[in-house]
Amino acid sequence: MGRYLPGDSLIYHLDPRGKFLLTFYFVGIVFFANNVASYALLLAFVLFAVYLSKINFGFFIKGLKPVFWLILFTVILQLLFTPSNNPIWHWGIFTLSKEGMVISAYIFMRFILIIFISTLLTLTTTPIEISDSIESILKPLKRINFPVTQVALMLSIALRFVPLLVDETTKIMDAQRARGVDFGEGGLIKRIKSFVPILIPLFVSSFSIAYDLAIAMESRGYKDGEGRSKYRVLSWARRDNLTIIFMIGLTIILLFLRSY
Amino acid sequence: MEKIISIKNLNYTYPEAKTPAINDLSLDIYKNEWLSIVGKNGSGKSTLTKLIDGLIEASSGTIAVDGQEINEDNIWDARKKIGIIFQNPDHQFVGATVEDDVAFGLENQGMPREQMIIAVDHALELVKMSEFKKRDPQSLSGGQKQRVAIAGVLATRPQIIIMDESTSMLDPDGRKTVLNLVEQLREQQDLTIISITHDIEETELSQRIVVLNDGQIVKDGKPEEIYDLGPELTNYGLEEPFSSKLMSTLRESVKLPEGYLSGRELKEQLWKLHSNM
Repeated sequence: MGRYLPGDSLIYHLDPRGKFLLTFYFVGIVFFANNVASYALLLAFVLFAVYLSKINFGFFIKGLKPVFWLILFTVILQLLFTPSNNPIWHWGIFTLSKEGMVISAYIFMRFILIIFISTLLTLTTTPIEISDSIESILKPLKRINFPVTQVALMLSIALRFVPLLVDETTKIMDAQRARGVDFGEGGLIKRIKSFVPILIPLFVSSFSIAYDLAIAMESRGYKDGEGRSKYRVLSWARRDNLTIIFMIGLTIILLFLRSY
Repeated sequence: MEKIISIKNLNYTYPEAKTPAINDLSLDIYKNEWLSIVGKNGSGKSTLTKLIDGLIEASSGTIAVDGQEINEDNIWDARKKIGIIFQNPDHQFVGATVEDDVAFGLENQGMPREQMIIAVDHALELVKMSEFKKRDPQSLSGGQKQRVAIAGVLATRPQIIIMDESTSMLDPDGRKTVLNLVEQLREQQDLTIISITHDIEETELSQRIVVLNDGQIVKDGKPEEIYDLGPELTNYGLEEPFSSKLMSTLRESVKLPEGYLSGRELKEQLWKLHSNM
């Protein structure tokens, strides 16, 4: 996936709640595709969405990188272990067949579709918009006394402090390196052990930041999340309705192609 | 002059500490003045801030803010009158963007959104940060972050602003901008400023200086009176101001008028000496 990339296009302007839910919905319907035509339809849809986002395609390819080995492993597994009555090639436990090739191609397509669509979400939606969407989606849980607003504030503060903690980690690592700790050397156990001198100071400084922040929030009148108003609001527009209608259309065509 | 904060016989000892952090301290702070509280680390100055804002509870003694003695029931009202700018700009930035952060205090008060938008814009204008409205904190300098913190405090329209070492982590430019801005706001908005610092040079804009040592007030006076103490200041863990050091060095070889000289007076004397040469 990827980090938010500032930009300006239709996809950026869609309501984050809609984007968030539709992304999950799309990931769900990917599993309904069962033949070349239906996969082609979904791929066309994803490429169309990517085109609309006006984001360089390279960013989506980059999104594949972290899961590259997982994809390769799964595809090869399917390719060599799919049982078949008329194999092209057979050796020991390995079987290569036409069915295996088709299945692994489908699996490959699923990976591509899911990763591209979720990359599209994370590239065009700020973390804070995602956390606002989660708050809005969880709102019904307020009825069972689930502290939705508090959780949402926690989430947004956590997101806000990620870069600060990354800086803190770099600082601590530099400080430990200056004392002669080598983070890149030795076996796995030794490497894991060398992270202890990072984690402990990191915990200590996180707690001290949290304490400072709590004092600052209290001094600015934060009580317990009750009776607060909201500055940032999400607004649902006509284009969001149109996107949903478009998605329904896509689903109908998909179901048609599926049984075709 | 009208009192805005009145502290009487205040005591506070941290849990498990042997000596009190605040020791029978009494202090009156007047409306619209800029009071600097100076003292070395551990002299009790930050503890005093937290006590005034009710963030910690005093062991004994009373604090009245705007005529009202603070207690558990009215502490939130008192807090509305006081805004604090803390030391580390990163540790007080709550919002994801500049405007969100300024709005935080207003959201806590439950202000309707339409009013909030106006208040946020106005506060950002006062600190001259309007063009940074949509930016995230990572893209701001330390001084800019502190200006946003000031805007966040101003938006809630407090009467008192406490600066708890707010400029100690800034570069000289950022420090100067922030201090001048605060002075300007004090005049325009009829604010009372309490600035807490260990650096005596940062007190130049204040009208009154209180020196704190071991939780007690050891000196209370106008800046020139405090600067005139010269080497005595080192007894309280403070550094002698540069101008005072310069004066005492000059006095070793030339004759200068008695008493403390302000920067301008000192300059005039130097010119006089120069033309006599």
